[in-house]
Amino acid sequence: MAKSIAQLNRELGEQVLDEARRQPNAYTGKYVGIANGKVVVVTDDLNDLLKRLKHVEPDPSKTYCVELGRDYSKVYEIWEVV
Amino acid sequence: MARVQWQLRNDRPVIQVMLALAPGGQKVTRTVLADTGAGAANDPFEFVLDEIDCLLCGGTPLKTVTLGGAFTGVHPIYAIPIEIPALNFSDNVLVVGVAAPPTGFDGIACFRFLNRFTYGNFGDKNAFGLET
Repeated sequence: MAKSIAQLNRELGEQVLDEARRQPNAYTGKYVGIANGKVVVVTDDLNDLLKRLKHVEPDPSKTYCVELGRDYSKVYEIWEVV
Repeated sequence: MARVQWQLRNDRPVIQVMLALAPGGQKVTRTVLADTGAGAANDPFEFVLDEIDCLLCGGTPLKTVTLGGAFTGVHPIYAIPIEIPALNFSDNVLVVGVAAPPTGFDGIACFRFLNRFTYGNFGDKNAFGLET
């Protein structure tokens, strides 16, 4: 069965993160924008990322982003409002 | 310098932000809990909002994040534009989308966002405010 664009984007995002983990100092803090299964932008500015990504692919459901150097295995605590 | 203050809701500090719904850009107001204890200064998100709001705003998806505590589990992050007109604030921010925001609020403004401003009650114990 063919993979969806969203799935292709997520898989590419994982590959990019794996690559970046091997050279952590080279890419920390950069955002990588993916559209339709391809890396289309690398930048350290979130607004620049979104602007350029939208220019390439206006449909956000066909895009995906990762932040390099971010520890995605960490659990972030948000306490309950009582 | 600009300052805006909001009355407490259910005795808790809140701020109001404006979202722009896609595709027309219609503005809607959301009242979110101002929680300096939510997250840390360098966490990968600044808000917790209903995921439906994130999608209605045409949010750009980022890699998911794992939360503990009130929203235990894996949640998507979206980049969406948020405005606070009284502060002339308009920027793209990273938002965790959840299925059910805290009862009585539309979401949470986390420490990373609040820390962009000077925040507090500014002498009014019944209000919470932000100042640039």
